[in-house]
Amino acid sequence: MEQSPYLLELENIYKSFPGVQALNDVTMRVRRGTVHALVGENGAGKSTLLKILFGVYQPDKGTIRIDGQPIQINDPKSAYRAGIAMIHQELQQIPELDATQNIFLGQVFTRYGIFKDTRRMRQVARELLARLNVDTDVTIPVQQLSIAQRQLIEIARALLGNARIIAMDEPTSSLTPNEFEILCRVISELQANGVSIIYVSHRLNEVFRLADRVTILRDGEFVADTALTDVTEDDIVNMMVGRKMENHQHVSHVRSQTPVLRVRNLSWGEKVQNVTFDLHAGEILGIAGLVGAGRTELAHLIAGLHAPTGGSLELRGQVARFHSPRQAIRAGIGMLPEDRKRSGIIPLLPVLANSSLPVIRRYAPLGLINNRRRRRDIEPIVDQVNLRPRNVDRPIRDFSGGNQQKAILARWLNAKSEILIFDEPTRGIDVGAKQEIYHIIETLAQQGKAILMVSSELPEILRLSDRVLVMSGGRATATLEREQLSEEVIMRYAISRNVSL
Amino acid sequence: MELQTTQNQTSTRIRSVNVREYIRNAGTLIGLIVIFIFFSTQSPVFLTEANLINILQQSAINACIALGMTLVIISGGIDLSVGPTAATAAVFTATLMFTGTPVLPAVAVGFLIGVACGLINGLLIAKAKLQPFIVTLGTLSLYRSIALIYTGGNPILSVPPDFRAFFNGRMGNLPVPVIIVGVVAVIAWILLRRTPLGEYMLAVGGNEEAARISGVPVALTKISAYVISGFLASLAALILVGRLGAAEPILGNLWELDAIAAAAIGGASLMGGKGSIIGTLLGAIILGAMRNGLTLMNVQAFYQLLATGLIIILAMLVDRLTRGSN
Repeated sequence: MEQSPYLLELENIYKSFPGVQALNDVTMRVRRGTVHALVGENGAGKSTLLKILFGVYQPDKGTIRIDGQPIQINDPKSAYRAGIAMIHQELQQIPELDATQNIFLGQVFTRYGIFKDTRRMRQVARELLARLNVDTDVTIPVQQLSIAQRQLIEIARALLGNARIIAMDEPTSSLTPNEFEILCRVISELQANGVSIIYVSHRLNEVFRLADRVTILRDGEFVADTALTDVTEDDIVNMMVGRKMENHQHVSHVRSQTPVLRVRNLSWGEKVQNVTFDLHAGEILGIAGLVGAGRTELAHLIAGLHAPTGGSLELRGQVARFHSPRQAIRAGIGMLPEDRKRSGIIPLLPVLANSSLPVIRRYAPLGLINNRRRRRDIEPIVDQVNLRPRNVDRPIRDFSGGNQQKAILARWLNAKSEILIFDEPTRGIDVGAKQEIYHIIETLAQQGKAILMVSSELPEILRLSDRVLVMSGGRATATLEREQLSEEVIMRYAISRNVSL
Repeated sequence: MELQTTQNQTSTRIRSVNVREYIRNAGTLIGLIVIFIFFSTQSPVFLTEANLINILQQSAINACIALGMTLVIISGGIDLSVGPTAATAAVFTATLMFTGTPVLPAVAVGFLIGVACGLINGLLIAKAKLQPFIVTLGTLSLYRSIALIYTGGNPILSVPPDFRAFFNGRMGNLPVPVIIVGVVAVIAWILLRRTPLGEYMLAVGGNEEAARISGVPVALTKISAYVISGFLASLAALILVGRLGAAEPILGNLWELDAIAAAAIGGASLMGGKGSIIGTLLGAIILGAMRNGLTLMNVQAFYQLLATGLIIILAMLVDRLTRGSN
């Protein structure tokens, strides 16, 4: 029998939800032992396609073939049995359980059919991890491990089920460059064993580095399937967004003479140590560094989420000590947190409420909220940030990630915050909305806002920052002016004290 | 889910928060109507004006407790101590009146006790950061023991006639307790839907961390919810004492469960951030109408319990199914 060159074929897949054609005649073919990237903006249908592959959704029409044989995938369990595994962006692990227990989640080795055979399970877990060339303690709760280690544990779990197709959804969104290298090595290892990888990522440089082919989706439709040697990054971006991207150039800003915020020797335990810098109105100060360098903690200190253990903050010449975010907000500081779902949005409340929450009392001078006044304030602001769809009565959870971010930005614009702290401003946001958010951040700086931007994406730091503070191991290792900026220089300072890593 | 793509595609899915709540309330109302239709075919008395007023009267106390419970649940908590709070307020107020204190100061003390009980719950939960379920489970025993120890377990039987007359009176056609609870419901609705505190409750229950970062006074919001719940428990206690003419230290046993049931039937989510005043009222009336109807049909009390259980589960199932795959 002639063997099909494809391990997996998703053919002419259709899927609609009430009011949305999520997938419209999408085809994707994955060869054995290759890394096949799947790219597209948020809403392009990548997640839906993965969910169909994983049996979470049933296609309305279309065929799935493995080794040329049509197969019906009714639920995640049958996907698992068919050798399909998925590494989710948000890891599906139980943090309190150890690596072994997580690898064996839902299945168990027993002695005499009754007793858990922990020793044998640990042995197998170690072997699987050894196959991935990782050395991890399989007996400590995974919450004590790094994200990268936890991800590898997920992959080990996939190997336990003899997975031949592993779909990875944004696997690198919280990995450091070092950890990314480890993942690359693991992926080529898997490839060599005939495993095919479906690699979903917004980071095109990674796609070019890792993948052999790429399938591009746009608005639920198939756009192209091409070898990565035949295209450039710009080609892919154009196919994803269907229009020519504007060329990104850094816009320089005029910053104020005196700083709005002076940070002196700010410390918070071990996480932040003696950080000193000035922030001026009208500038974007990037904060770069590896995961765990203390950037988010620094942002939290300034936003009043923690009380510092040492050092001082000075706002417009006045010493400020914040014991709660409420006090920082009153002083004109607004933060857009890294994890929107966990600490940004109030999912069920409409944008109107989400965006007016910090200053809600402004609309209730006599105790009752005047919704007309509130609307009159919020609507021009959501226009300014270009909220789509422009419906402030809709619960915020029904908006895309980019638009949720815009609504949270509207929250601080409405509160008239002078200092805006963006923690990973475009995490999980698609390419088009990303550009839009960059543009908004630049405009805000031009209007005289002081902007602090924590980001793990160096292109983002380079694109937006007027100056960059680099952190490593809780300390500020450099403050770089625009002319000095390059990925290499930033990385050098980012790892400068991390010899122990 | 990444389903939103272009604007026109999403337009069918756009639904404002208020519309969703109306739909949910309409669902509860339909449930209520079905129950009414059923009982009216079973008993000729059921749909008479006197009996309908009777149902409202019987539902009033649970509704009063459930309104407070709804606010607590919306802000992400639970208050299991409402029954004992009510009992404590009842026995102290009744004792004061019995020993010659004028009605108004005695009533004020009752309210103060309710507020104090709620404040203790709120402080332990919001400041000491203990889990609401456990804290109020503890105060459930604690407050009950205060009522029992204070009275030695005996009911206080003499309540002044004018106090009784007030709560047994009518305004127009409606019993005073029904009117009181109606007014409380209007105030609760305004509080939840039109004041910053109400929005804070929805925000804290919906996502506490995000609320804190947005400058919401989280602790104050939670404490307010428990204080309101305690206050309404003492109000319910006074209504009951007025109607019965006696205050028993075991009064209010299992009130918390009826109140949670009414709130849940009305659409409150025990995860917090979601709930409806109108829904809770309808939920309380559903429970009251069920008991009333089954009594009219001469169904044994054991089966009434069965029916209550089924109604709660049915309401949750319908909720689940109509909300779709989310």
